[in-house]
Amino acid sequence: MAAPSSQQVLDVLSHIQDPDLGRDVVSLGMIKELEVSPQGKVSFTFELTTPACPVRDRFKSQAQDLVGEIPGVTGVDVRMTANVRPAFMRPKPSEILPGVKQTIAVASGKGGVGKSTVAVNLAAALRRSGAEVGLLDADIYGPSIPAMTGSKQMPEQVNGRLRPIEAHGLKLMSFGHIYPGEQATIYRGPMVGKAIEAMMIQVDWGQLDYLVIDLPPGTGDASLTLAQAVPLTGVAIVCTPQDVATDIAVKALQMFRKLNVTPLGLIENMSWYICPSCGHRHEIFSHGGAEAAAKRLGVPFLGAIPLEEGIREDADSGTPVVISRPDSAGAKAFEHIASQVAARTSIQSFRQLPVINVH
Amino acid sequence: MEITWEDGNRSTYSGEQLRWACPCAECRGEAGAPGRLARIKTLSPEELRIKDVTLVGQYALQIAFDSGHATGLYTFSYLRALGPTASQV
Repeated sequence: MAAPSSQQVLDVLSHIQDPDLGRDVVSLGMIKELEVSPQGKVSFTFELTTPACPVRDRFKSQAQDLVGEIPGVTGVDVRMTANVRPAFMRPKPSEILPGVKQTIAVASGKGGVGKSTVAVNLAAALRRSGAEVGLLDADIYGPSIPAMTGSKQMPEQVNGRLRPIEAHGLKLMSFGHIYPGEQATIYRGPMVGKAIEAMMIQVDWGQLDYLVIDLPPGTGDASLTLAQAVPLTGVAIVCTPQDVATDIAVKALQMFRKLNVTPLGLIENMSWYICPSCGHRHEIFSHGGAEAAAKRLGVPFLGAIPLEEGIREDADSGTPVVISRPDSAGAKAFEHIASQVAARTSIQSFRQLPVINVH
Repeated sequence: MEITWEDGNRSTYSGEQLRWACPCAECRGEAGAPGRLARIKTLSPEELRIKDVTLVGQYALQIAFDSGHATGLYTFSYLRALGPTASQV
């Protein structure tokens, strides 16, 4: 039997729909380097928009099955790769984060809900999937990234720019690296904005697929500076399930909406606790509050994270739980959330933004 | 200046129109006090010429005029409401 044509292969592959982007994978340009040998062997590269793609395995088996069913096909070789696309076309080349494709802010409004823990594990999970990831600690007063990543060295200066600290495969920068020890940073608001800008402009971030930005609590200087200085791809909002936390998370969300930053969704932290002695599931801070708030506000719910001693222990000892105990329930929850965040982020790169022309 | 919106619609603005619509506190007034634009009747040509447009995050444009005036942040929703919109489709 004759080998099929390339067009025949593309025709069947165009039946695969990307659930997040709402289009077929052929018209999205995900099928590359397609070759059909005279003997009927088909090989191609399936290029995802993120290595943390939640439907990666499904895509691969779908592609193999569909192509395998074409008469004349004797073998299918699918190479899965990923290429994160830049979020937006900027109007002019920017001095701010020129090599960064996607900027993802992690915010909460309220303090103490585990923003930094989520930011560190989100970054680590994206890194584990194969992406180049940076993590910027925008909490000037209470930087926790150095402790949570076990990186307390001072950044080196090269040609007047700071080199990010490397730990766990991540590029990091925090005020805790610049001013280590117990000294407090005593700044008024405008200085906070300047400090955050400096960490974006004066740090040599290089080429990154994702820069995760851990924001301090509140809806003031830090968040505003960030939303004005860079076109953020989106913001993930962390909260705990109880009303006092979700109410404030909603305020944070509304602030970002006002600034036209897309909410990627809500994350519920400390969602439940499994007692190690009795195995019983406790919902200390209630449960499902974030999901209900997400539904009410019409934003995605990205997932829930359990309250686990291991997450806290690993944060204190400086290794994110997704790296130290990848099989724990907590790590699994973070992995799931990271792939959801990556998927929502990919959608943003296909958005058509306003085009401004000045004559 | 011309903006092609996400939905394909297009708006065009003259420098003069944008200058008179400047939303900054100096021009608009603050705390109940009228601003500069309420007190004056004319603006010089260099006040009306656009020199530069910068994106502010992704919610607004900062428009700088030849006179050096650049304190107005024009949010996209404000610009959309301001401009006569021609449908492109």
